[in-house]
Amino acid sequence: MSQDIEASFVKTFSGGPQIRVENLRTSGPALTTVLFGTSGSGKTTVLRCLAGLEQPEEGSIRFGDEVWFEARGPLLPPQKRAVGFVPQEYALFPHLSVAHNIGYGLNRVRHRERQERIRETIVWLGLEGLERRRPAELSGGQRQRVALARALIGRPRLLLLDEPLSALDGPTRLRLRGDLRQLLKQLGIPTLLVTHERTEALALGDQLIVMDGGRLVQRGPVHEVFSRPTNVAVAGIVAMETVQPGRVVESADGLVSVVVGQSKLVSLSSHLPPGTEVYICIRAEDVVLVKGLPARSSPRNSLSVVVKALVPEGPIMRIELDGGFPLAAILTRQACEDLALRPGEQVTALVKAPQIHLIPR
Amino acid sequence: MTREDWQLIGFTARMAATSTLVILPVGLALAWCLARAQWRGKVLLETAVMLPLVLPPVVTGLALLKWFGRRGACGSWLHDTLGLDLIFTWRAVVLALAVMSLPLLVLASKSAFEEVDQTFEQIARTLGAGEWRIFFTITLPLARRGILAGTLLAFARALGEFGATIMVAGNIPGQTTTLSVAVYQYVQLGEDAHAWVLAGISASVAFLAVLLASGHLVRRTKR
Amino acid sequence: MKIAKTAFRLSLIACAWSAALRVSAAEVNVFAAASLTDALREIGGKYQQETGDKIVFNFGASSTLARQIEEGAPADVFFSADEAQMNRLEGKGLIVERSRSNLLSNTLVIVVAAERGAKVHSPKDLVSPEVRRIALGDPRAVPIGVYARQYLQKAGLWEQISQKIVPTENVRGALAAVESGNAEASIVYKTDALISKKVVVVYSVPSNEGPEIRYPAARIKGARESKAAIDFVTYLSSEPATKVFERRGFLTIGRPGK
Repeated sequence: MSQDIEASFVKTFSGGPQIRVENLRTSGPALTTVLFGTSGSGKTTVLRCLAGLEQPEEGSIRFGDEVWFEARGPLLPPQKRAVGFVPQEYALFPHLSVAHNIGYGLNRVRHRERQERIRETIVWLGLEGLERRRPAELSGGQRQRVALARALIGRPRLLLLDEPLSALDGPTRLRLRGDLRQLLKQLGIPTLLVTHERTEALALGDQLIVMDGGRLVQRGPVHEVFSRPTNVAVAGIVAMETVQPGRVVESADGLVSVVVGQSKLVSLSSHLPPGTEVYICIRAEDVVLVKGLPARSSPRNSLSVVVKALVPEGPIMRIELDGGFPLAAILTRQACEDLALRPGEQVTALVKAPQIHLIPR
Repeated sequence: MTREDWQLIGFTARMAATSTLVILPVGLALAWCLARAQWRGKVLLETAVMLPLVLPPVVTGLALLKWFGRRGACGSWLHDTLGLDLIFTWRAVVLALAVMSLPLLVLASKSAFEEVDQTFEQIARTLGAGEWRIFFTITLPLARRGILAGTLLAFARALGEFGATIMVAGNIPGQTTTLSVAVYQYVQLGEDAHAWVLAGISASVAFLAVLLASGHLVRRTKR
Repeated sequence: MKIAKTAFRLSLIACAWSAALRVSAAEVNVFAAASLTDALREIGGKYQQETGDKIVFNFGASSTLARQIEEGAPADVFFSADEAQMNRLEGKGLIVERSRSNLLSNTLVIVVAAERGAKVHSPKDLVSPEVRRIALGDPRAVPIGVYARQYLQKAGLWEQISQKIVPTENVRGALAAVESGNAEASIVYKTDALISKKVVVVYSVPSNEGPEIRYPAARIKGARESKAAIDFVTYLSSEPATKVFERRGFLTIGRPGK
């Protein structure tokens, strides 16, 4: 029977900044909750409090019916929480080999079983041949996998990942993101993952919790939070105006067709086979509005949309459209006036194929 | 170099080694407390430990003489309950060497412990390791370079110790005479050549020890 | 301008005054055996009051002092506890010719702690296992140690007790060891035993059994204050000085040197 974290606490740092968490929950076995926010919003501290490495002043942290922390009450030390924790820079023990790093938490297990489990874990994470190496001799991607192996071999009940991919370079990051997603799905435990990268949150998370200034400001399914920020602050943090689920239906000549709602969009492929579930992401600045049908134009995507609302934001105008799915565009006020846009009007929205970002689910 | 001289060197080395072994657990424990724990009296403890480093050695020797002498606070207890006499025996030599070299070990080890990233210790906790296991498998190995340097320096200091030693152990030939005490004595007797030979040996050993210790320190900062 | 003139005049007067003082008051450096500490301090104080000359003492084991003088320490007078150390300096040509004379003698005594002292009543008792350590000025060089060794060798006891000897820097160090209980017994000068309340004399070596103890004094060659040094050495044989020495337990024998 798997359990979930339930935490409400306050942690203050000397010097002022305070972190106030209300009702932080993970969402169940095999589901990943992403704690999302800009650097300095307190995400790492929350993770450390859950792991037992920091102690809050008020509140409580519970896991299922176990009390991990209670103000003026019992405190369960990290040793007893059976939590897998992977910090940002992985913190592999530099003086131990890969095998010893991974096996560190199993010192109470009998030798033969320990060796077997280490072997299994190494195979599972694709680390064969590296058993004797020291962390300094590993690549970034290898280190990340060793850190995961070390955290997972003890069969933890909860996995806490702090920016698991930020220490990696671009191409590696992309590749490992997919691997990590697969891995997280295989575990039967809840995962709480911290990141400040939008694409990572989308790729890895099921639930999203946005943190700002030490507080939890919004939570919900990932794409929902991204596309419907409840306030300006969250909108600023997520900065991705249109996020919609879709499915690849065709893939040829370097282009893919994706069905979103009732519309079909064309994007650049990255070897996504038909049937893949994806999110499409479109920045509002990338949407061009045209009144009257253009004769011939370069953007592959030409949608009939209806203007739903016009929201002024300083010198620019944010336009909410409906094209079979919610779409946002940003125009200058001037442009708006030139086109004489009004709610209810039908216009054409143009988006270039490369500007439709696909994130496989 | 006479046979007595060789015995002298052997005796001094044995005493220095013994004192270094004695201060290792004490010094490491103190260093760890000073590096990791936070409590109000910490500064006082740190100062007390460092005192023998800055006080004139004879002053330290005088204090030891008072406390461990037959009529002193510790000495009388040792004499009455354990039948043990410290002053004017080889035990006093170990005592003097230990007290004088402890600060060097603590200083170096404290630095070494402070440089160990506490993240490693925290991860170890999440993996189920208790505090003692963490100390021996994570903290200590990661601090070993600095600790080794500190141990070497402490040993070298013990080899060369004079002021406190002569106060509590005297200069009993064959029983408590150390290398540096012998040098002093030969000078007093006018046997300068003899004194120079022993002084040369003393200096060479000290030079070697410091060289090795600095080697460790330099290698550590280069990483 | 007026202030400057006054300042100048005042400083001239100050210079003259200190020059005058320097001319009249001499400073004599006396290196003397540790056992003479209290007696000489008293005598030096008296002398300073009478003549205005300042006596600066350096007390220590005669062997240590001799060594220092060999290395060029600025001594004007050397007052040793045995002739061996004086011979050492004379051999090196450091003594002013014919300025040497034997002034004092002393008695050897065995002491134990006043409180809970070991049961020693004669030299033979030093052999007993109850006496674990015997503090003694280093028998290799310090006069008291040399005298004691000579005595014990003559009494046939040296072989048996030499293992128990704890050599000390000087006679006062040995005394302190017995006072603090770190050594059970010591052989010191009678004059030292009289100073300390924490030790008792258990045996006094008769002069015919003990070694010949002689305290010679001499002037060092090249002393700055020759006249003052001569004056002081002369004073050491004078009546007031002799009275102080005798009161403190010394035996006076000397005739004034030049």
